[in-house]
Amino acid sequence: MNHMKKWKAIEVTEIAFLSIAMAAILILLSGADPLTAGRMFFNGIFGNASGFGEVFVKATPLILTGLGCSVAFRTGFFNIGAEGQFYIGALASAWVALNATGVPGVFRIILAIGCGFLFGGLWALIAAILKAKLGISEIICTIMLNYISMNLLGIAVRTFLMDPAGSIPQSEKIDASVTLLRFLKPTRVHTGIFIALGAVFFVWFLMEKTTSGYEFKAVGFNKRAAACSGISVVKNIILSAVLSGGLAGIAGAVEVLGVQKKLLEGISGGCGYTAILITLLAFNHPGGVLLVSVLFAALEVGANSMQRQMGVPSAIVDFLIGFIVLLILGRELLTGKMRAKEGK
Amino acid sequence: MPLLEMKHITKAFSGVYANEDVTLSVEKGEIHALLGENGAGKTTLMNILFGIYQSDGGEIFYKGESVRFKSPADAISHGIGMVHQHFSLVNRMTVLDNIILGSGGKKEVLDRKQASEEICSLAEKYGLFVKPDELVGSLSVGEQQRVEILKALYRKADLLILDEPTGVLTPQETENFFHVLRRLKDEGHGIIIITHRLSEIMAISERVTILRDGKSVKNLVTLNTTPEELSAYMIGRPLSPKTEDRKKTSKEAALSLEGVSLSKKRAGKMALDHICLTVYKGEILGIAGVEGNGQKELAEVITGIRKHTEGNISFDGSAIDSRSVRERFHKGISYISDDRHMDSLVVDMTVTENMILRTYNRLPFSKKWILDYKKAENRALEAIEEYGIRTSGKSGTRTPVKLMSGGNQQKVILSREISKEARLIVASQPTRGLDIGATEFVHQTLIRQKNQGKSVLLISADLDEILTLSDRIAVMFEGRIMGILNREEADVFKIGLYMGGVTEEGGRP
Ligand SMILES: Nc1ncnc2c1ncn2[C@@H]1O[C@H](COP(=O)(O)OP(=O)(O)OP(=O)(O)O)[C@@H](O)[C@H]1O
Ligand SMILES: [Mg+2]
Repeated sequence: MNHMKKWKAIEVTEIAFLSIAMAAILILLSGADPLTAGRMFFNGIFGNASGFGEVFVKATPLILTGLGCSVAFRTGFFNIGAEGQFYIGALASAWVALNATGVPGVFRIILAIGCGFLFGGLWALIAAILKAKLGISEIICTIMLNYISMNLLGIAVRTFLMDPAGSIPQSEKIDASVTLLRFLKPTRVHTGIFIALGAVFFVWFLMEKTTSGYEFKAVGFNKRAAACSGISVVKNIILSAVLSGGLAGIAGAVEVLGVQKKLLEGISGGCGYTAILITLLAFNHPGGVLLVSVLFAALEVGANSMQRQMGVPSAIVDFLIGFIVLLILGRELLTGKMRAKEGK
Repeated sequence: MPLLEMKHITKAFSGVYANEDVTLSVEKGEIHALLGENGAGKTTLMNILFGIYQSDGGEIFYKGESVRFKSPADAISHGIGMVHQHFSLVNRMTVLDNIILGSGGKKEVLDRKQASEEICSLAEKYGLFVKPDELVGSLSVGEQQRVEILKALYRKADLLILDEPTGVLTPQETENFFHVLRRLKDEGHGIIIITHRLSEIMAISERVTILRDGKSVKNLVTLNTTPEELSAYMIGRPLSPKTEDRKKTSKEAALSLEGVSLSKKRAGKMALDHICLTVYKGEILGIAGVEGNGQKELAEVITGIRKHTEGNISFDGSAIDSRSVRERFHKGISYISDDRHMDSLVVDMTVTENMILRTYNRLPFSKKWILDYKKAENRALEAIEEYGIRTSGKSGTRTPVKLMSGGNQQKVILSREISKEARLIVASQPTRGLDIGATEFVHQTLIRQKNQGKSVLLISADLDEILTLSDRIAVMFEGRIMGILNREEADVFKIGLYMGGVTEEGGRP
């Protein structure tokens, strides 16, 4: 056990060192001074309240979609569709926020988020049923559904949800009474962060303390043994997929109601895909998802500041994230093998 | 010069010794038996030899040369072959592909035809009959065993490690298998065989090394020893089997099958062909037969894992045809499968988690939706105590099952399925992989169940086990019951005939 902790410690410092070195090289290549760039990077994150707050604004959808993926991965349902479920959730909640005018303030927010969950979940249910009943690969299904949902949203903001006063494809602004409260002005931090934190606790509790989480785990590790013991494999795959899609749907709703305050194309910023990496790095653990999400968000905020101040392309961060993922997963494979050898 | 010498081998897992100062030597042309209780460290020792684990200390000499294999591939290239306790075949590939998988060869292009011929001639030579084109997943455990042995032979191993190879074989198959081993021995191969059956050790081996608690306690020449001496060294005291009295079976049926059939997709043959069978309360009904003649299907139809296509099944007077696995379990039907890794255990989960695999959704292990791991842990501790389960090192009940020795994994299943609530235990090869002490314990437990008025459907390839335990014996052949014999009238010869599909009248039906 001690050895394992040591391994982990070595890994973390090594990986941090390698990534920083890689970042320095990339910054040099883009013609800037790594030291100043580094200062700008941290300045962007810790320099002022709004930058620091932005980390949590960006982390919120990552946490929710990351949790979503982790729930599905537990039963072995490889949900690549958080992106699409996010879109559908955003679409549904925007529609409710704009059209359910009969429902007053807070209740409409709850309804909108609820619909985000519901439709995100239903969207994942399509792939889950195809997988559970017909054995069609959920990976392919969810990817295809991503394209469909992207275009659905595109159609919506050009037709029935388009702002009649404007000419760009986006919805009209959502009434201030149905947006999530920004409680730390001047930062953009909104109450969505509490929803995300609540979800972290909920998923942890579900996985570790309930019979459902136990079933998910058994099904994910050995479907045959689960079935032979009387656990329904189909039911659990479907349940985990719906929950997974629902969480991604909430992420979409929260982004609409808390940050953008309207529906527009590309609203996810690709976080449905980043979520997959987050889950992998967190080894499906909800606490890990929280941590990695905040880390990723900080990277993004820092890089944006670098770009603003010095023109260093923020794409460096995406490169770095890819690099880190490879390092960690590769390392895990390697040490996993070594550990198996030593039996530790 | 011995073929193999392992000297002072030491290996600890998180601070607990699995091997401690173990010494073993094998000559060319020798069959060397390795004996020890469940968890004594036999598999670990062989895994070190085969390059799967690295030892913490000690030396290995192979053909006089000091070696230290870094990987199984390394060991194989030196001419060592190993058949694992739990097979390592790829289910979705054919027999042929499994055998040649990773065998390398110098040629760029794989000559499948030649490989196939070579395998067939090997199979012919040693009587290891398998069809090269069949998918491994569709083979019985016994057939898969043969594939594993062929795989090692195909790679021209000089030293063969066989980790509990006979556990899955019928007495007949074992006899044939021993012929194979003797032939290999005569050709100068060295063979290390692990088995819990003392009679087999007496029959086949030249020498025996006995492990106890990770240490090699004795090396004996087989001719100069007795099974009693072996078992005394193995458990550290003489074995004193106490036999339970057998109570009479009642006239009341527990389980009855009427014309139960299961159609197989393949070749229009029936996996189960109009089975009529009754198990009475307080009875142990043995099912004998060569593996793959419908025993597994019978067990799965009774436990609800598969749905029969025809006929009626009733339990305790009520029809259970449309009941789910879980409903049947709660009515009292429990199941010990012969494929523990696939069917009965989630090896990535801990001992505690596996212990509640059947009952996690009930009191006391959960209330509404909330699991009570504390209660589950206590249950696991009780089982560890009662069955003498050895978990790994300090992790105790938190040990992932995959890190436990084969016999101890089996004990986890036994303690879970033979519960107070069980009223019919469908037990398939329940003692496979158990050491003699544990086997004895399970036999007594099953008889005790019977004496309490519960029923046992005992499926076993081990005819001795069937004969000692059963009140009646049904013999299966090609999905049918060939005949049912009473305990008193059963003899090996008659059962053998039935097993081959021959009926009383002498003709094949
Ligand atoms: N990879 C591992 N990690 C931790 N403990 C292990 C590991 N492999 C084996 N052990 C422990 O080492 C001990 C010896 O196990 P081993 O498999 O060698 O027993 P065995 O003699 O083969 O028993 P059996 O007859 O049941 O197969 C057991 O207590 C087991 O739990
Ligand atoms: Mg073993």
